[in-house]
Amino acid sequence: MIRFGLRLAVAGGREALTRLIVIAAAVAVGSGLLLTTLAGVNAVDAQLTRYASVYPSASTGGDADPLWWSTRNDYFHGEQIIRIDVAATGSNAPTPAGIPTTPGPGEFYASPALRELLAAHPADQLSDRYPGRDVGTVAPAGLTSPNTLLAIVGGTPDSVGKLPDARQVSDVGDKPALPETAVNLILGVIAGGLLFPVLIFIGTATRLSAARREQRFAAMRLVGATPRQISTVAAVEAAAAAVAGTAVGFGLFYAFRDPLAGIPFTGMPFFPSDMSLGVLDVLLVALGVPAGAALAAQVSLRRVRISPLGVTRRVTPRAPRAYRLIPILLGVAVLFFAISFRPATSDGQAAVFLPGLLLIMLGLIFAGPWLTMVGARVMARYASRPATLIAARRLADNPKAGFRAISGIMLALFVTSVAVGVITTIIDNRGPAPIGSTDAGTVTTVFDEKVPSVPDPLFAELRAISGVRSATAVREDPDIMNGGEGGLIACTDLPSAYGRCADGASVIEVPIGLSRWRESASPATVWPAASFTLDELQRLPVGAMVVGTDGSAAAVERVRTVLEVAFPSFWVGPNVPGDFESDFADTLRGWEQLANVIIIASLALGGCSLAVSVIGGLTERRRPFSLLRLSGAPVRVLRRVVALESAVPMLAVAAVAIGMGLLAAHLFLRAQMGYTLVAPQPGFYVIVVVGLAACLAVIASTLPLLERITGPETARSE
Amino acid sequence: MSVPLTLLGLLEREPSHGYDLKRDYDAFFGRGKPLPFGQVYSTLSRLARDGKVVISDVAPGSGPDRKRYIITDVGATEVEQWLTQPVDPEPHLQTVLFAKVVLALMLDRPAAEYLDTQRSAHLHRMRELTEIKRAGSLVDALLADHGLYHLEADLRWIEMTGARLDALRKEVRR
Amino acid sequence: MSVVIEARDVEFSFGQTPALRGASLAVDAGEIVAVMGPSGSGKSTLLHCLAGILVPDSGEILFDGAKVHAMAETERSSLRRDRFGFVFQFGQLVPELTAAENVALPMLLSGVRRTEALRRAYTWFERLGLDGMQQRRSGELSGGQAQRVALARGLVAEPQVLFADEPTGALDSLTGEQVMDLLVGAAREQGTTVILVTHEARIAAYADREVMVRDGRVNAPDRIAS
Repeated sequence: MIRFGLRLAVAGGREALTRLIVIAAAVAVGSGLLLTTLAGVNAVDAQLTRYASVYPSASTGGDADPLWWSTRNDYFHGEQIIRIDVAATGSNAPTPAGIPTTPGPGEFYASPALRELLAAHPADQLSDRYPGRDVGTVAPAGLTSPNTLLAIVGGTPDSVGKLPDARQVSDVGDKPALPETAVNLILGVIAGGLLFPVLIFIGTATRLSAARREQRFAAMRLVGATPRQISTVAAVEAAAAAVAGTAVGFGLFYAFRDPLAGIPFTGMPFFPSDMSLGVLDVLLVALGVPAGAALAAQVSLRRVRISPLGVTRRVTPRAPRAYRLIPILLGVAVLFFAISFRPATSDGQAAVFLPGLLLIMLGLIFAGPWLTMVGARVMARYASRPATLIAARRLADNPKAGFRAISGIMLALFVTSVAVGVITTIIDNRGPAPIGSTDAGTVTTVFDEKVPSVPDPLFAELRAISGVRSATAVREDPDIMNGGEGGLIACTDLPSAYGRCADGASVIEVPIGLSRWRESASPATVWPAASFTLDELQRLPVGAMVVGTDGSAAAVERVRTVLEVAFPSFWVGPNVPGDFESDFADTLRGWEQLANVIIIASLALGGCSLAVSVIGGLTERRRPFSLLRLSGAPVRVLRRVVALESAVPMLAVAAVAIGMGLLAAHLFLRAQMGYTLVAPQPGFYVIVVVGLAACLAVIASTLPLLERITGPETARSE
Repeated sequence: MSVPLTLLGLLEREPSHGYDLKRDYDAFFGRGKPLPFGQVYSTLSRLARDGKVVISDVAPGSGPDRKRYIITDVGATEVEQWLTQPVDPEPHLQTVLFAKVVLALMLDRPAAEYLDTQRSAHLHRMRELTEIKRAGSLVDALLADHGLYHLEADLRWIEMTGARLDALRKEVRR
Repeated sequence: MSVVIEARDVEFSFGQTPALRGASLAVDAGEIVAVMGPSGSGKSTLLHCLAGILVPDSGEILFDGAKVHAMAETERSSLRRDRFGFVFQFGQLVPELTAAENVALPMLLSGVRRTEALRRAYTWFERLGLDGMQQRRSGELSGGQAQRVALARGLVAEPQVLFADEPTGALDSLTGEQVMDLLVGAAREQGTTVILVTHEARIAAYADREVMVRDGRVNAPDRIAS
């Protein structure tokens, strides 16, 4: 029976072969995406493991000599440079990953990306920060990502031991990163957004020309095949297509692995080798997908219950009821509740918010048929054009079938709108300062170890750099708890770009960076007088250096280099506003990019699902449609029927999903961060429109079929 | 069933003796009801009296079988008229229809046209009956239906025969 | 009586297979003509040519003096929509629509307003003995009921010519005759010309006359004076 099923599937004529190829193609795309997701999880894990090894925790023990270790952050052109200072305390101290030996004092290793920067820029902008000998390149084993900027600098145990956050490490081996539950959860949600359309597509594809298949099975029953034999044949057919598709899926995955690894999903690209598949992953896909396809075939057969006389005639399915709205309403209610009642801990907030989000996701899928039906009924009531009437009636009759093909689109668009809404708003609230503003050109270094005074030659050196407008040492307010700004300077030292003194003040209170956190510097700001004399001021330690520049990258980097050389024990390198933020925003932009990929992929896939269901609907109504055409109904009426049946629900669902997504994002932002949603940038809408256009194009590709199968020849031959 | 016209038709094929006529008649049209010799000779003598056949060379000896009959122009015209004229579309016609078709094929006449004419006549009658049915009472309608179904049976036979005329021609003209 | 629709020496082939080889037929206005013939004789092809669904390879189709064979597809479509009606053997009802909407469909296609189209559609239901069936879907109608709905759809726009292709082919004798009774009655009342393709003599007997299609030609027997 299995061989018979195989023969039917492979040698069953053109129609059977076409069906086989379409199902195989659907499975190929689906399993390719499945593999990408699994490999992506592995890649994130590998990346996190190596990331963790950059920040080892203090460890002692064993007979190894400890290694002094300090990881610090530096910046160049808004990119983060990780600087690791190491010093071996003995001959058998461990060696950091990725380099052959621990560098000695005056030696350093640099990552390939950093070496490129070092070679491409003048020494006073970057390489002066690493005095000493470049002894080699850090290998991938020591890098989080191919474009990580990393320097491993050697020092003496004394010097490194005094650096901020220095620790003694006796074991630098890769330790598995702690399971990043949050990352896995988000990745899971996104994978759901992508995989759901894939599963829908595979499911729809297996239903392709189901009517013909049912006819064939009915004929087999009539000549005496048992239901069990029919099941076997159906399962074999589906599994054969799925095996072929899965094989192609593996091929697709390996063909596209390198470009996929280059997409900075986590804010930084992966090494292609990070996107690896474990034995378990391979087995899961290679065996699970065909088995799942066979199972799906069984289930779909059970639904039609082939009797020897074929399938019974069409009856109107039961209409969905309004209770389908409950989950989605509940979900929205939960999110509103999260605004007014905000749990204290972020875990508590997540505990309220995530179920709410999941409820909305499920609720959208659950409520979809009901919404489709209500919309279609309204459309049918007011329709005066025959095409609208037919389309609306069909949707109202069987809203589940109408919605099934687009449910994937709905979920994907919802997930991505939430993500894009949240990301856009966060970037907008925390993004780098606008170019050309005073803030963008202000380099601030906050001293970890207090400095009694700043030598005058340093001021001279800084002011000599072209583009530098001011250099100010801000002293630390000893009474940090008095509610003041935190810093103190002499009124005469205040550069005019950062405000002016209160009348009559000689010492004023200023923020440590000369402008308040998340506020722009302005000449109009009036700083209050402080209750210190100039003399008292001189005895206070310097908390920060603030250097105003014209904002040009060269000036900023020169200032940074000079400050780092002058104060080598910084923990966080001298920075301009946006250095941290852009680092954070890069990660978010990576997610945004992923969201765009999902939007286009899911819409294109949704288009394919729709096309398949359109073809199914056409085949089902081939006779009435071709007879309508014989009676003089123009083809464009039929075309309009098809377009309305597929495109209208899709567009409506897209609108609802994006709306719900942005609403959920807004509620999330209000509850978690107190932000108000910022409308996504035009780019987002462009992506959505491109995706919808791709989807419509796929639907449009079925229209020639409409003309062909409703031609006069069809009416004759039946 | 018109025995005189059938015999005339057979004579149009070729002059025959009474015995041969009876044998051919029995072979094609008798079908278990052979024609008695007496009826053959009485019919032939009546035809001869009416001038539709003549008796040619009388063979020596005695008895009716010495005579050979030849069809006259009058006789041939009558056969022609009979064949082309559709039979009244009434039930139980198949024997007459059959005789006409077979004779037409034997005589190499356009049997298909006869069938068409007959179909036309049948349909004409069916239209009349249908009209009665549509206009009349239920009793009328049921009676009309009886006629309609029988006529339809005839028509089906006409269709079948029409579709197999070639084969039949071969069979009867062996 | 004037000829309303006519085929002159029509030839038509499906690829290498000739279906019509010089078929001619003229039908008077208000006449009901049965086109008979065995399967594969070309009777349906003749109907499709007359209705402007197929374009003859050679020969002419004239409707009201207009040359149908020379028209563009859109013209023929609008001719079929506005001047002709159709009843097919089965399956012409759109399954999603109610019976009444199916009847109203030709009017909707011609741009009649929905309420008006439905109002006119409703008047047919009582006439066809289908009262109460207006809201049924095609799947909920028996074969005979569906055929009566189809008949109403064919006639509702008061076409000049109704083309009926084996309209009782899928029905039993009694139901078939009921449908024919209604068809002929309604056509006579409206003065609609009917071209009725059938292979059944009892159905053909509802016509005013019959023609035989055999081997792609039309044999029209001389009209028998009654």
